Amino acid sequence: MCADLSRTPRTLLVCDRSSFLDHKNRVSSQVEQLHFIYKVSVLLPECNSASSSLDSVFNSFTSFYLIRKLPIYELLDKDFLQSAVYQGSVHGLSFRTRIDEDNCVALMPNGRLTLSLDKDSFELLGFEGKPSRFNHRSCSRFEVSVDLTDSSMAPGGRGYLRLLTGLKSHLQLQTDFLLSHHPGGGASLQALLSRYDWSEHKPKVSRRCLSNLVCPAPRSCDPHSLLEWLGAVDADVRCENSSSSFLSSFVCPEANTTLGHALSVSVSGLLLPHDVQRLIQELSSLSWSPGCP
Amino acid sequence: MSVFMDLNLLFSEDRTRLQNLVETAAHLGFSTVAVNYVFEPSAKKKQEVPAPRPINELIGQLPVVQGRSRPIRVLNRLTVVMSDASHFRPNAPEYRRFDLLAVQPTTEKLFHAACMLHDVDIICISVTEKLPFFFKRAPINGAIDRGVVFEISYAAAIRDATMRRYTIANAVCLMESCKGKNVILASAAEKALELRGPYDIINLGQLFGLSDSDSKESVSSTCRGVLLHAETRKTASGVVFTMKIQQEALQDSADSEAPAAKRAKAT
Repeated sequence: MCADLSRTPRTLLVCDRSSFLDHKNRVSSQVEQLHFIYKVSVLLPECNSASSSLDSVFNSFTSFYLIRKLPIYELLDKDFLQSAVYQGSVHGLSFRTRIDEDNCVALMPNGRLTLSLDKDSFELLGFEGKPSRFNHRSCSRFEVSVDLTDSSMAPGGRGYLRLLTGLKSHLQLQTDFLLSHHPGGGASLQALLSRYDWSEHKPKVSRRCLSNLVCPAPRSCDPHSLLEWLGAVDADVRCENSSSSFLSSFVCPEANTTLGHALSVSVSGLLLPHDVQRLIQELSSLSWSPGCP
Repeated sequence: MSVFMDLNLLFSEDRTRLQNLVETAAHLGFSTVAVNYVFEPSAKKKQEVPAPRPINELIGQLPVVQGRSRPIRVLNRLTVVMSDASHFRPNAPEYRRFDLLAVQPTTEKLFHAACMLHDVDIICISVTEKLPFFFKRAPINGAIDRGVVFEISYAAAIRDATMRRYTIANAVCLMESCKGKNVILASAAEKALELRGPYDIINLGQLFGLSDSDSKESVSSTCRGVLLHAETRKTASGVVFTMKIQQEALQDSADSEAPAAKRAKAT
């Protein structure tokens, strides 16, 4: 029952072929638009181990905080707004809330707070929002999106008080929350963190050395197959399609070569775009020679 | 969209079995389950309606649902298998101890009565035998208007191939008459191995003839509707409900208002 990726409704796969050496490549601008990055995987062909500078980049990803049972009205706290939201880029996401079952909360770096609520919660909250339509039928999820940097949402403003009353007394929304702040780190968040049960986490880095990896020749296959193959390598799926294995029938796209060894590194957690930018810069400055150190 | 629920886990005296069932349900992602006490009155001897055991007696620590940070919610449900009109006594006080009330009619007349008259939440469609009667639009539409849902259970289909045929046939028959509205899919599982995850049940619903969104609703929003309907059975028009104060021996009780979130379905 797996859908052909090209026929799935409402997906967009943009494939851009360029080189890091080309100054006009759009990788950086694309990465800036991604607010919540969970995982970055890098596949380095013909490499045994990462160079020390690459390793240090991987290990220096900004750490993030997990706050247990954070009442969401705390995100409207004056001190938090002054010290964190107005200053730099704060990324926040509710943890362990399923988008099709629970209420979800996201805080974007540009100061936008978005709540994705089910019908009951939305009606209780009493704030403006619009229905979130997945198909063109009855809507059962609603989205409330406010710009915290807007003048009407300044502390004391009408919209601010309305949302604060809604979150404090009508709908006491409380979730586990992941929070990450780019310049300033823990210091500016300390006031908020000290009131609740919090823990600091570093993004997890995992490395795998792969041997005898079958890979498609570059520029030989279409983007969809290349994406499928990359995903299979990252998820450690066997691509042999042997008759005795019923788990997967993935095969490597045609016109393939075999690599002696390759290195797959992935880092996961609440990653910030600026850390990913540094990684891309480090990768683009690597000099490519077979058997790189 | 609401949380995933499985409203039919068969009760068994064996504590470990029930505990396994609830733990598997929590592991699969169900946030609410209901333990089903099946009551089949026979004309020969007088039987008493079973009393529900308190949940903390049966299961020590409620397991946390996988992927969320809340423990699973366990409710009590009674299913009365009716083969005669006198088997279901409306407003019987024994029924009040259960959170959900279901009925399984075996003849056409009883089905009509259950849809239009009786104060129940769920009507079970039998899946272990060929349907003894055909579904007519009139009682089904009446039931949909009242907020009563129809339940199809799938554990029998897992056990036996003949049951699988009956389950699919009966389910497709039901979907043709009710057009996919007010249907819930539940397991009726006796063992933990007979439970399946919510997304698998959604796929199964599509096999029965439900559309994508109807199928997802049958495991989430419609079940939530059933729980709300059951709560309003204890209220007056869904607005006011009474609670017995434990200290007083008399029947005097305090009135209190139900929370604003509840929407009453017309009963």
